[in-house]
Amino acid sequence: MVERLRNYIGGEWVEAGGRDWSPVHNPATCELLAECPESGAGDVDLAVQSAQEAFGEWRRTPVLERAQFMHHFKNLVEDRFDDLAEVVVRENGKTLDEARGEVRRGIESIDFGIGVPFMMRNDGVEDISSGIDETTVRQPVGVFAAITPFNFPFMVPIWFLPTAITCGNTFILKPSPQTPLSMQLTCELIDELDLPEGVVNLVHGGVTSAQAIMEHPGIAGVSFVGSSPVAKIIYETCTRNGKRVQAQGGAKNYIAVLPDADMESSVKNVLGAAYGCAGQRCLAAAVAVGVGDAYDRLRDELVNQVAGLRVGYGLDETSQMGTVVSAQARERIVNMITEGEREGATISLDGRDLQVEGYEDGMFVGPTILEDVTPDMSVAREEIFGPVLSLMRADSYDEAVELINHSNYGNAASIFTSSGAHARDFKYRVNAGNIGVNIGVAAPSASFPFGGQKDSFFGDLHGQGLDSIDFFTDRKVVIERWFEG
Amino acid sequence: MTPLNTFGAIMTQAIGLEEGLADYYERAGNSDQASACARRRQKMMRIRREAVLEITLEAIDGLDSDDYALDLEDVSESGQALAASTAARFYREVAPGMNVRQARRALERAAREHAGQ
Repeated sequence: MVERLRNYIGGEWVEAGGRDWSPVHNPATCELLAECPESGAGDVDLAVQSAQEAFGEWRRTPVLERAQFMHHFKNLVEDRFDDLAEVVVRENGKTLDEARGEVRRGIESIDFGIGVPFMMRNDGVEDISSGIDETTVRQPVGVFAAITPFNFPFMVPIWFLPTAITCGNTFILKPSPQTPLSMQLTCELIDELDLPEGVVNLVHGGVTSAQAIMEHPGIAGVSFVGSSPVAKIIYETCTRNGKRVQAQGGAKNYIAVLPDADMESSVKNVLGAAYGCAGQRCLAAAVAVGVGDAYDRLRDELVNQVAGLRVGYGLDETSQMGTVVSAQARERIVNMITEGEREGATISLDGRDLQVEGYEDGMFVGPTILEDVTPDMSVAREEIFGPVLSLMRADSYDEAVELINHSNYGNAASIFTSSGAHARDFKYRVNAGNIGVNIGVAAPSASFPFGGQKDSFFGDLHGQGLDSIDFFTDRKVVIERWFEG
Repeated sequence: MTPLNTFGAIMTQAIGLEEGLADYYERAGNSDQASACARRRQKMMRIRREAVLEITLEAIDGLDSDDYALDLEDVSESGQALAASTAARFYREVAPGMNVRQARRALERAAREHAGQ
């Protein structure tokens, strides 16, 4: 019988109160891996009560001890590294290399959490006035929650959890119901840490539990990663309910390739950026703009290299691209390619009918290249979140920058060039939160903030980096004077 | 034909190669080489876990595991020399395809060690 997942609340594995279950499939083999409960407001409330009860003891736990838990957590994750990577492949469909890379990036965030004692220090001034000292202290805030997506089922939750709890907060995690197993295993590891009960809680579910998190008065702040329409709802609902919120949304990331770029190396990297994780990442390259005569060379080299990509089951290490996450995702991606074709794009490489031997029912979409894409087409404006790269022409570098800045999204943008002047200008003028120079996936490491601009981000403080310390703490100012004698 | 077309495929091939060679040298009575292979296997497993940088994962082409098949039956001196040179050639040829410096360095060093340098 297939496993029915349980919530982890107050240090116990407990049944969710709801009666609805959603299947968790391996998107390559279609094997039913587990059933995920739809937790309701009552389950969220239990988790919040548990987290609130734990908060008092946890915030009094010295920060060095809290950081020590993160050392142990890191060791447990390292010990189970290969198991975690395999779970990511099985529930998400990406390749083993990509899953290992994801777990490694998660470990970077645990490393960052270990550094919280240093980053929580604050400053002060003696004699700000005569005999009066003024200092700031950072304090944890209370209960935080994270609502996380299917595309990085291990890494994204771990962007938030280590920093939040090492700062002294308690935490509720609601992973995507499509990919809950990575966090199920992670919480089994967390259970081994013997943290005080309630410091970390796992609540499974979809919209109902997310709504309950957004509205619960006991939750001080919410971190979210997902699509832009949902990010906007999360931001508006959470702020209306008095919470701090960081909501990272979708993207339409552009890459400008200039005539002076090293074309072979650039295309190799663009390929990884467009088709890595089957295009299901918020930093995926979606549109490549060839400037001047770079366009034809870019297209030829892309078609040449992409045609050789080996698509297959992620656990086969020779697979260079895996599946998309679900049948619905595949249908949406295929429909968007068809819509692009209807609007006038030319399909140079068509992945819609790809079949992988041995996995004929798998959720595969082959790497796809759309040519002659213009800014008004849906494939240039809307997030596809699949292995589809649209090619656009620009007569000049300035026109390429205009095309990029015209997008409603602003998560990432990259330039491939050997010109320092163009690279500098690109960094300066392009409106995106993450800029790549000869890097197709401009993914900030854990010590840098990760956040987009425009419709790619709703909030003030980004995830990761020092922004996350500000997000997960309050600064209190202490002004003190001691009377003599 | 098994293509060595990804970071993981190359590292897994290296781990398997060292595992096979550790056993082979043990049977050949060459315990120093056997333990060196066992140590390298551990190192390659660590590299596979640690040196995989998601943002620079790129396709690798032109390499196939069949080109590095080892004869692990012949434990004679000449057999051992052939095994060592095949292993050295494997590492020498796969190292340039790695775009993570830590991994490339480890593979280059393994090539030198198998070549007795």
